[in-house]
Amino acid sequence: MNDDVIRLETDVAVVGGGVAGCMAAIPALEAGLEVVICDKGKLLERSGSVGGGVDHYLTIMETGPEWDTPEFLLKHIPDLTDGIVDMEVTDRVVREMPRVLRKLEALGVDFKDPRTGTYDRHRSFGLPGAYHINFDGTRFKHHIGQRVRRGKATVLARTMGVQVLVEDGRAYGVLAFDIRSGAWYYVRARAVVLSTGDVNRLSMNASGLAFDSWHCPYNTGDAQAMGYRAGATLANMEFTETTLTPKGFSTQGLNALVSLGAYFLNRQGERFMFRYDPKGENARRAVLADGVIKEYLEGNGPIYLDCRHLPADVLDHMEETLQIDRHTLPAFYRQKGIDFRTDPVEVSISELSIRRSGLYFRGSGIAVDANAESSVRGLFSAGDSATVSGGIAGAATLGHIAGESIVQYVNEGRTLPDVDPGELERLMGEASVHLRQPGGPSWQAFEDRIRHTVTDYAGVRRSGPGLRRALDTLRSLRREGAALGAAHSHGLMRVHEARNIRLNAELLAEAALERQETRTGSAHWRIDYPETDDAHWRSFVLVDRTAEGPGVTTLSAQMPLATAFPRRQPGKGG
Amino acid sequence: MEHREGAASAHNPIQIDPNTCIRCTLCDWVCPGDIIYKEEGDRETLPVVAFPDECWYCGHCESVCPTNAITIVFPDEILHNATDVVTLLGKVDPADAPAAEG
Repeated sequence: MNDDVIRLETDVAVVGGGVAGCMAAIPALEAGLEVVICDKGKLLERSGSVGGGVDHYLTIMETGPEWDTPEFLLKHIPDLTDGIVDMEVTDRVVREMPRVLRKLEALGVDFKDPRTGTYDRHRSFGLPGAYHINFDGTRFKHHIGQRVRRGKATVLARTMGVQVLVEDGRAYGVLAFDIRSGAWYYVRARAVVLSTGDVNRLSMNASGLAFDSWHCPYNTGDAQAMGYRAGATLANMEFTETTLTPKGFSTQGLNALVSLGAYFLNRQGERFMFRYDPKGENARRAVLADGVIKEYLEGNGPIYLDCRHLPADVLDHMEETLQIDRHTLPAFYRQKGIDFRTDPVEVSISELSIRRSGLYFRGSGIAVDANAESSVRGLFSAGDSATVSGGIAGAATLGHIAGESIVQYVNEGRTLPDVDPGELERLMGEASVHLRQPGGPSWQAFEDRIRHTVTDYAGVRRSGPGLRRALDTLRSLRREGAALGAAHSHGLMRVHEARNIRLNAELLAEAALERQETRTGSAHWRIDYPETDDAHWRSFVLVDRTAEGPGVTTLSAQMPLATAFPRRQPGKGG
Repeated sequence: MEHREGAASAHNPIQIDPNTCIRCTLCDWVCPGDIIYKEEGDRETLPVVAFPDECWYCGHCESVCPTNAITIVFPDEILHNATDVVTLLGKVDPADAPAAEG
């Protein structure tokens, strides 16, 4: 079997070619390092969550007013994250934002409004300043991907990473396979970046279709699972995120109507949101989702979004901009046969994702230090798979920090350990076993059981007994995961995704069981501990792999997550 | 079809007009889910929607098609949805909550 492996040797291996992974590759390429970057998609110019485009970008610009300084935003971040945030890493990310913005502009991204030649900045998402630039980012990812390609990175398209190779507490390579040809790659590398985004296909939505999801359904927590298996510490895995969608279609685009003046109505026709927040429909998005969840639970559903009171020019603007959030949204309304100008739109909550619980700067996933390095030396993470995440800007900035840190790390000149051919063969054999048992159970049915379990017992309402029940099911599914069948390389990708989703769901349930309080509304709502308990729970929940399965610990959120890393422990080195 | 696995899908979300499709491979290249397969360099064969159940309904294929040959068609589960939203909100036993005082 070893003869079938394509062996590559490089300085940096990047798994996930979205914004974070590409931005990590760029400083390494600039410093003359060799980079191998793999992505499940075909084109680096289109890969990742914003491959189709993006329309806003959060940044400090230091234009003069106090709110536009790093110090001002940093002062507000503990409140914006309900007290659970790694301020050491966030501090570096916020301070690096202006420099990374300039770098993106140098790559060709035009953040200015072509009509005015200036930056169109807006205050939104409950942030304390006009930090969001609205811009035409249709080709945002194109510029970043192009730079990586021009820098002569080796791009492994349609390639899924499955395993990080670690020796003596250091990452030194990645095992991956081509999802079409089935070819296996062993990429021996001095540093590894894991940047595959958030975790989706995790719980049920209204349509019941697994790939009908708000966020990209091909983001399946591959980085979090690979990092965990490699011994990296994960944190904030208990926090999930949901949004409001037109019922039936789990898509972005409903919040845009809300921000332009639409009202929520319940079954009785009551505009109820003021009962949940004095700002009504202008409340934080997570508050809006919580309000709708509560109305449904109290029997006041269906809930509708109503635009009928809005003037024609606002409705025209809504109609013209519908496709910005999702290209297919106008077709959805058309095929459904409703006109949001005259018909109230029935509203649902979306499925959950493990991302950043709707907050900027509190990420869920691989715990990183201010260099974007995980608890495993030489293993880095950025974007929605890392513990400090802030949308596209957060991914770009922490990704860039990872790249610059890697240049330093690699230049320390450590030699790579030799490959143990037996170990490589064992790992490949395990990862490809599904192709040798094509009649095994289907990943579709396996995933459905995960989604039902998470929805019922680890979703927007949780309790100790419920979470233990979820854990029983998720642990028993672990064994079934190894038996799943795949008929071809594409199916093998789906099987690995399904197993990664299961692992992430188990870590979610473990962490949620540990956190005996409610925090950030439905991101972590324990009906048995319904209050936010700052006296005991202003703490991170960390998850590590142990011989007995996931090991859960806590750390005061006053401390950086890296405090828990072995290299920060006296006498342990590393 | 060679790529299908499991039960046959009742719904094809990505409808390709054979009269206007110029067999160019772009839809295959931009699909983020590895769902559309087009033989490269072959001007005869149409793109094949190999895994219709795995479509995100993102419309990347529709938006890049140079001849507008692709139409995204939503299934009944999405257009005429009858799910009770309360079933998405958990089955946690209310008895797990702390007993109300008084």
